[in-house]
Amino acid sequence: MVQNYLAVLLFILVGLGVGVIAPLLGWILGPRRPDPQKNSPYECGFEAFEDARMRFDVRYYLVAILFILFDLEIAFLFPWAVVLKEVGLFGFVAMMIFLGILVVGFVYEWVKGALEWD
Amino acid sequence: MDFTTVIFSAFALTLLGAGMGVILSRNPVHAALFLVLAFFTGAGLWMMLEAEFLAITLVLVYVGAVMVLFLFVVMMLNVDLDRLREGFWQHLPLGAGVALIMVAEMVLVVSSKQFSKLGADLQPASETVSNTRDLGMQLYTHYVYPFELASVILLVAIVAAIALTLRKRKDSKHLDPAQQVLVKASDRLRIVSMRSEGDQ
Repeated sequence: MVQNYLAVLLFILVGLGVGVIAPLLGWILGPRRPDPQKNSPYECGFEAFEDARMRFDVRYYLVAILFILFDLEIAFLFPWAVVLKEVGLFGFVAMMIFLGILVVGFVYEWVKGALEWD
Repeated sequence: MDFTTVIFSAFALTLLGAGMGVILSRNPVHAALFLVLAFFTGAGLWMMLEAEFLAITLVLVYVGAVMVLFLFVVMMLNVDLDRLREGFWQHLPLGAGVALIMVAEMVLVVSSKQFSKLGADLQPASETVSNTRDLGMQLYTHYVYPFELASVILLVAIVAAIALTLRKRKDSKHLDPAQQVLVKASDRLRIVSMRSEGDQ
């Protein structure tokens, strides 16, 4: 029933309220006396060395994509956990084969050193 | 207007606004964050359709993982905003043509009789069982073979991602403590016998 999610909706609304009200109060009540020195960008007290848009190491991408893949695996685990009693041994073995194939990938990335950061 | 309609309208308007934000904001990082908001409100809409599993998966997989990847890609691309904007008018006719064709296709599909019939006779599988349970009952019994295939596809993706991006850095100053411990004195030090000055 949709009605069961009223508590979740209230949670979202309270979260939004706190998130909006707290900065708004600071914005209304706080003193604002800007001058050029305060408004100028700084980087630890120096002038900015370079553009903020620098290239990232491609390793971040590798970590992110491995994270997505194992996240998808979790998405398959949720309905399995819900119906484990009904599907019984067959469902259990099916999931173990699924996990076994993915463990091959996990071992591969471990042995290849994709999890190392040097 | 009942309460559910109000909530639906709020979600739908936020989704539309976020979608506009994705394509209109100049900063690509802001566009990606608007996409996060769009995913969240989409998950809210699915929740209202009682598609709980889809909604949670949308938040878990798309907001949690895919958006992290998007942000990395946006930051990695070294986006030069001025270079992106030049040639806008030059490419406008082509872009407008593609957009028009897509809109025409969507109008044709949605307004066809088959499409409006689609949802009409579909009933929820059951009122008492949650659809996560329904999905699980189907997925791990009837569709177990496609389910195992999914793991093979994930395995291929893991191997492909590693093969494409894993490079050893040449300028790495990484030290391996295990190798350091294994060093023996004879690897680093050579003892040479030679006469001292007093012997001469």
